[in-house]
Amino acid sequence: MILAIVIVISATLALVVILSVAVTRSLQVKGSVRTALAIRPIDIEAFRNLIDPAEDGYLRRRLPPAQFRVVRRERLRAMAAYVHVAGSNAAVLVRVGEAALASADPHVAGAAQQLVSDALLLRRNTTVALVRIYLALAWPSSGFAALRVVEHYEQLSGAAMRLGRLQNPAVAVRLSASI
Amino acid sequence: MLQAHSLLWNYLWVAPNILLLVLAVVIWRRKLHKQFPVFLFFAVVTAIEQLTVYATDVLPSVSPAIWWRVLLAGLLVEGLIKFTLIGEIFSCVFGLYPSLAKLGKLLISGVGVVLVLLAAVAAAYTPKDSTYPIISVALVLEQTIYLIECGLILSLFVFAAYFRMSWNRSSFGIALGLGISACVHLATWALMVRGNSSAPYRNFLVFLNMATYHVCVLIWFYYLLLPQKSATTSAVSLPENTLAIWNRELERLLQQ
Repeated sequence: MILAIVIVISATLALVVILSVAVTRSLQVKGSVRTALAIRPIDIEAFRNLIDPAEDGYLRRRLPPAQFRVVRRERLRAMAAYVHVAGSNAAVLVRVGEAALASADPHVAGAAQQLVSDALLLRRNTTVALVRIYLALAWPSSGFAALRVVEHYEQLSGAAMRLGRLQNPAVAVRLSASI
Repeated sequence: MLQAHSLLWNYLWVAPNILLLVLAVVIWRRKLHKQFPVFLFFAVVTAIEQLTVYATDVLPSVSPAIWWRVLLAGLLVEGLIKFTLIGEIFSCVFGLYPSLAKLGKLLISGVGVVLVLLAAVAAAYTPKDSTYPIISVALVLEQTIYLIECGLILSLFVFAAYFRMSWNRSSFGIALGLGISACVHLATWALMVRGNSSAPYRNFLVFLNMATYHVCVLIWFYYLLLPQKSATTSAVSLPENTLAIWNRELERLLQQ
């Protein structure tokens, strides 16, 4: 009977998740898309500094192991915060790109497709990077590289700018400016 | 009212399957089958299978043993088609996003393996009816199919929601109907196999299953036959000052 209860609870939770996704989707279709306002700016330079292996190497050489671990954990938490925002921005840009996919202008549609593709790639990479950051938090002395996230973020911002320019040259750069 | 062979019972068993056949005809006429060939096949085969099981149930000449065999054969066929249909929905959703296609394939394979193991564990712990083994086999098979189906559909919904992937209206409707049906059926079969065996209790669960299936068929009608509403988009004004900041940062990055 315990297994039956577990199955019933799991099935109920699954049903709730599926229905909530359905309701969210329905609201998204009906509502207006003001997604670009949800994009939060990221200081890529500060992030690049955080993930620079040379910086880590320098700190490792200069600090005692215990203090290095403390500093490393703080840097990893900051890194996680940046990656989290980058992932959220990517999710917003997926919707911005998808809204432009139906454009009659093939250039706009092409740029939108590129933006969506880049944003999804970034979202995937931020997910992997977050997993690795949290693992590194447990073992701060281990090596870590999140450079691919930065590279994809740069590509993504370029794609967003191209789409913005094609859609509306007057306001195009505004969209990408806040990435 | 919640009695076997009552008017409501007959209606709930027959009507959704007739509606499913009607839906199949409309899908064919509208040439939607080119987009969802497996769904058309699923609609036709499931409806015929269910109506056959219904006919064997009401015909006095058919023995209970034969009825269970027909049900079991139908379940096997239905299960295979359902998994093919889920594969079709996956390829429909991920086909729009080549950058996630590989991850999607990995996901469906991984989740599938885990679900098969879970279903095997659940089946192993399911009480068996030694008097009528075929009944136990049918119930366990049904529970296994619904468990795997429910898990796959759930993972598809969660994955698509996480990546903010947009669904084609039709594939969303098919997945929604399958998901609701799988979740409710899984819960009711789990209770039916292990729970209270009194007739009113079992009848209630059977009626719940039938009513859910009817609702799911109506969901498929709604999503497949009603036109999609276009999303309304509004112009977005963003803070002016971020343009210069971003351009400055981007130029600095490009010059490195």
